[in-house]
Amino acid sequence: MANSKEIVKGEEVTLEIAPGMDILEVNKKLAQKNMELLREHNVRAIDIMGSIGAGKTSLIEKLVQALKHKYRIAVFKGDLTTTIDAERIGRHGVQVLTINTGRECHLDANVVARAVERISLEDIDLLLIENVGNLICPAEFPLGTEKRVVVVSVTEGPYMVIKHPFTFMNADVTVINKKDLAEIMKIDTEQLKKQVKEIKPDVKVAVTNALSGEGVEELIKALEL
Amino acid sequence: MHELSMTTQIVDSVLKEAKKQDAKKVTEVHLVIGKLTFLGIEQVRFSYNILVENTIMKDSKLIIEEQDGSIECPSCGYKGSLQFEDDPAYHVPIPTLRCPKCGKAAKIVEGNECTIRSIRMLK
Repeated sequence: MANSKEIVKGEEVTLEIAPGMDILEVNKKLAQKNMELLREHNVRAIDIMGSIGAGKTSLIEKLVQALKHKYRIAVFKGDLTTTIDAERIGRHGVQVLTINTGRECHLDANVVARAVERISLEDIDLLLIENVGNLICPAEFPLGTEKRVVVVSVTEGPYMVIKHPFTFMNADVTVINKKDLAEIMKIDTEQLKKQVKEIKPDVKVAVTNALSGEGVEELIKALEL
Repeated sequence: MHELSMTTQIVDSVLKEAKKQDAKKVTEVHLVIGKLTFLGIEQVRFSYNILVENTIMKDSKLIIEEQDGSIECPSCGYKGSLQFEDDPAYHVPIPTLRCPKCGKAAKIVEGNECTIRSIRMLK
């Protein structure tokens, strides 16, 4: 034990201990382990976070299409229920593993460690992990990936960046999706980009249309893939 | 956001420590919660009071200290508190990792923690 102090007052003995234990550290340590394991096998992993409907799955489909001849890809698909998205991605001929969280609103390092046990790391070079649709909770739980991506879309309104600064602080790459709808939504993507950069000056930003594939090359460059 | 599950882990950890010490009662728990976490202080307190019922932690005092964010710049070595920028478009202060000295990206060093700083117990 690091520090302990005994205070005796009459018959009463009070013990004060200082465990200095960080509860969030448990996940961070597991994430570190995942990272080491993936590195040992030369697997590059990317955590893709963002709200429900931001376009994470569509972007992954486009990434898979563009990269499947360059990398052997596996995808972890976090969802509360169903395998709908896994089937969408699986159509492109890559290995997809659904992680149904039941009620949990985010993936954590532990569920990812268990999923990693179910695939053969020797047979892949790139692991794309689609987090549960949620702009807030996943940010608190690193998974052990080399990069973390946040996807937002213009249909989420003009304030989603400034309302969630701590989510964007945790991302290496931010995607602003549905650029084709920006004008209809009266959203200035340059303004959003500026806000993201203000929060994290070294973040890379890609502006995309995940349905047409526009901007996906930019994203691939930002991910250094 | 995850106050109940986090507080469950806190209470479990405190009870484990108390058991190690053969304590009769836990009288005080001192937590440090970083302002950059997604943990709400009120919800932590609410969960705590429910979870300590029927344990030796019942009626213990919960002290929560909030830790401000602090940053360190890998480029110029600046160390200091997390800065806030006023966005002229919305008039709200936005936290920024921009180093106030050199303008490059700084790293967070404090504000992301949820630590059990100390526990007081009766033996």
